[in-house]
Amino acid sequence: MASVTFEGVTKSYGEGPPAVDGLDLGIVDGEFMVLVGPSGCGKTTALRMVAGLEDITDGVVRIGDRVVNDLTPKRRDIAMVFQSYALYPHLSVRDNIAFPLKIAKVPKDQIRTRVDDAARILDLEPYLKRKPRSLSGGQRQRVAMGRAIVRQPAVFLMDEPLSNLDAKLRVQMRADIKKIQSNLGVTAIYVTHDQVEAMTMGDRVAVMRKGELQQVAPPQELYDRPVNLFVAGFIGSPAMNMLEARVERHAGGVAAVLGDARLDLDDHAWLAPYEGRTVVLGIRPEDLEDAAIAGRDDGARLRGQVELREALGSEVLVHFTIAARQAVTEDMRELAEDVGDDRIVGQLAGGEQPASATLVGRFSPRTRVVEGDTVEVAVDQQALHFFDPETGLAIRGA
Amino acid sequence: MASSVLTSEYAGATRKRGPRALQGLPFVLPYLPLLIVFGIAPTIYALDLAFTDVGGGWVGFHNFVRTYDDFRFIPAFKHVLAYTSVWLGALMVFVVGLALLLHGRANRVSATFRFLFYMPGALAGSAAVLVWLFMLDPSVSPGSFLLHHVLGADIFAQSIAPGNLPFIFAMIAFWTGAGGWIVVMYGALNTIPHDLEEAARIDGAGPIAIALRLKLPLIRKWIAYMVILSFATGTQLFVEPQIVQTASFGLVPDTWSANQLAYQLAFRYADFNGAAAIAVDLLVIGLAAAVLIVTRGGLFRAED
Amino acid sequence: MRIRVVGLGARLVILLTFAVFFVAPVLWLLLAPTKSDKALITNSPFSFGDFHHVALAWKHLDAFSSHIFRRWIGNTLFYALSATAITLVAGVPAGYGLAIGRFPGRRLVLSMTLVVMIVPAAALVLPIFLELNAVHLIGSSLSVILPFSFFPFGVYLAYLYYATALPPSLLDAARVDGCGELQTFLRVALPLAKPIVALVFFFSFVADWNNFFLPYVVLADSNQYPITVGLWDLLSATPSFNPSVGGGGQSVNIFKPELALATLIAVVPVAIVFLFSQRALVRGLVGGAVKE
Repeated sequence: MASVTFEGVTKSYGEGPPAVDGLDLGIVDGEFMVLVGPSGCGKTTALRMVAGLEDITDGVVRIGDRVVNDLTPKRRDIAMVFQSYALYPHLSVRDNIAFPLKIAKVPKDQIRTRVDDAARILDLEPYLKRKPRSLSGGQRQRVAMGRAIVRQPAVFLMDEPLSNLDAKLRVQMRADIKKIQSNLGVTAIYVTHDQVEAMTMGDRVAVMRKGELQQVAPPQELYDRPVNLFVAGFIGSPAMNMLEARVERHAGGVAAVLGDARLDLDDHAWLAPYEGRTVVLGIRPEDLEDAAIAGRDDGARLRGQVELREALGSEVLVHFTIAARQAVTEDMRELAEDVGDDRIVGQLAGGEQPASATLVGRFSPRTRVVEGDTVEVAVDQQALHFFDPETGLAIRGA
Repeated sequence: MASSVLTSEYAGATRKRGPRALQGLPFVLPYLPLLIVFGIAPTIYALDLAFTDVGGGWVGFHNFVRTYDDFRFIPAFKHVLAYTSVWLGALMVFVVGLALLLHGRANRVSATFRFLFYMPGALAGSAAVLVWLFMLDPSVSPGSFLLHHVLGADIFAQSIAPGNLPFIFAMIAFWTGAGGWIVVMYGALNTIPHDLEEAARIDGAGPIAIALRLKLPLIRKWIAYMVILSFATGTQLFVEPQIVQTASFGLVPDTWSANQLAYQLAFRYADFNGAAAIAVDLLVIGLAAAVLIVTRGGLFRAED
Repeated sequence: MRIRVVGLGARLVILLTFAVFFVAPVLWLLLAPTKSDKALITNSPFSFGDFHHVALAWKHLDAFSSHIFRRWIGNTLFYALSATAITLVAGVPAGYGLAIGRFPGRRLVLSMTLVVMIVPAAALVLPIFLELNAVHLIGSSLSVILPFSFFPFGVYLAYLYYATALPPSLLDAARVDGCGELQTFLRVALPLAKPIVALVFFFSFVADWNNFFLPYVVLADSNQYPITVGLWDLLSATPSFNPSVGGGGQSVNIFKPELALATLIAVVPVAIVFLFSQRALVRGLVGGAVKE
């Protein structure tokens, strides 16, 4: 059991921007830490630097109190589960799991016991004699885990271990992995690009982008109080709606003006410095509701035109347009490119935004709106997020 | 951008190159002496000899000019060129043609034929030449009929008349080498996706059209490799003429091919500088082929 | 339909013709030692004589120059196996190192290997002779074994395999599991390369067995000849092809049947290996090399 610390860790490959840039992150002993971010954000590189599979260009990585920069992987007391499982094709399941113990010259009877224990925990007993090629994806994944846990290491490292499994299996294994880790109490660093995995599994989640750490916090905090536009847009699905709003003064305090809609905001006095300026207003789809169903009448309303209705059974995703401007920042452009949405890319590249933004709302399944309808949407004022359009940082109250 | 303010005392000591800078080197070390001693050094040594005289003094291109003026030089290179042309021609036409023919259907039959074609490859070297000495001797050869009508030969000595030699040597080389190349071409043809063939068939192309218009252009690269490699190997001809010369006693000169001339210069006349000059001539041809393939080829690009 | 059948027929005819071309000489060779020298001329080329003649031919062959034929076979086996052993021990790890390594000069070594591999070996024989001469190795078996064991094609095959068919994550896993670099190679990389080791063994052995030019140049004592050069020696001793050679004093009973038998024996070891590895060869080599 050990903590893992990144102190100013940087990894660069010659010319060009670094893959990991000045990462400062402290992972507590026994914690399940998830590194999440879009591809290329540096999360896997950071993981591999802990493993010793990548050289560290600058900075210090500690496991426990030891600085491990110059130690080879075998000296670091870590175990790793790879995305491709990396099982030894020429060895049986038993020999695969026993492999690290054999290398460490553990006595034969101990090896036997430990492998049997691991096989029991992971339901691999019927497969011990088989070779990897005759196993299913899920079984292979468990063998990879078996090989890791049998070592009783100080740190587990996992590099997108579930991304090659189908959806149902993934959900099942998520729970299994979390259970095993908490039973064993071993510090775990888990890399994924899937924010749902991150949110459901992590004790804390570190969001990374282009080599830089954006925010590290427990999942709920990331969701409730994202520190910048990127984190706000990355966490949560469907993504947060982003609009241009102008801050104006009004009787009780300030108001946010979106196109022809006006949201009067009480106790948002901390927005006063932005009076007269444009800010980015973020609203999560789950904080929007069909006004006919929401009931309460506190004046925060948007009026829009329904474009699309997607019924999921438990809720209805309604895409509607309002007469306001979509917020455009570099982040959004890149997010759109990452996602590959050419339409938005084209729009955003244009410069002049049409005064019509499409929002997505998560409505109750009882909503009656259909495509073409005009809809009144209730906005949960307490759940509004504001961001500075230049820095992308969240504008916070006290 | 965060800066590493904390624990800078280690930050400075962190070398840019971690413990893996020389990864892989120990595995290559035992091979390096072999590469240097038997690959690089002979090349350099040959160059050195080619440009110096017996005493070691620099003579520029003198050796090259001298050997060029030798009355046997031009005929030797002419012979080699004639041989190489015939051989390359046979390779291009027959190897490609046979591979295309084999690539139809009926896999079991095709495999059997490929094995039969490939079999003589086991006899590479002097054994193959010996076998063909028999084949060229009308008194015992099963092909005496052909020898009589094609080469006009009724005795061995006539078979190996000077005019026939390029063809004979090409035939021997073809006999041992074609099988291997047919296998390679066949493999290359197998990389052509089936969809293309089916699309062509739907478009109305018959088997010959498919072979000539679809398959052939797609294996152009492999044919080019075969030609380049065979050209370089062809110019190095030694075994066949040397053995035939022994069997013929004087009918075939012992300096028929360029390599033979180099050999004679070295061992009969102890003219190592001259021999080196010719070796360098041949080496340049071989190197040119090698560089052509390596630089222009996707064949060897396993890197990216 | 008619055209199809005709086309098929034509195809078969062409293939059969070439098959005959490739196979007939081998068939002749197999049958030749069963006949006497005279019978070779008078009887049909594909007739079968009897085993008695084979035994006789062997007797003559063996008697030549006091059993030197056996020595030649022994030499060839010794040279080929020793050289191939060195090739495997030096070449396969080298291919591995070049594939997974990151040391300065890696690309250089790789390019040089590729270039030298394509340059025909014959071009280097004379310079190698001079090299060996300069260090006084001429006359020892090493003068044959050492040059033989330089086999860049084998290194290249191993390199290709390790660079394309071995997932790097497998090596990473081994390292994380506690293996040092040598252990990673011995326990993971090498066991997985068994087919490549077999391929390299095959190509190296065959190339060494069939090599004529190098031993011809560096060996002066006929007792050291490999079988390839031995065949040439036999040829120069037989009156079979040109009557003015041979004879004179000791009676040399080397005629066509003996020569044929000698050739056949010279070919047998390689042919056997050929037969056994034909399928693996074609699949392995072509599959690996041709994959883009």
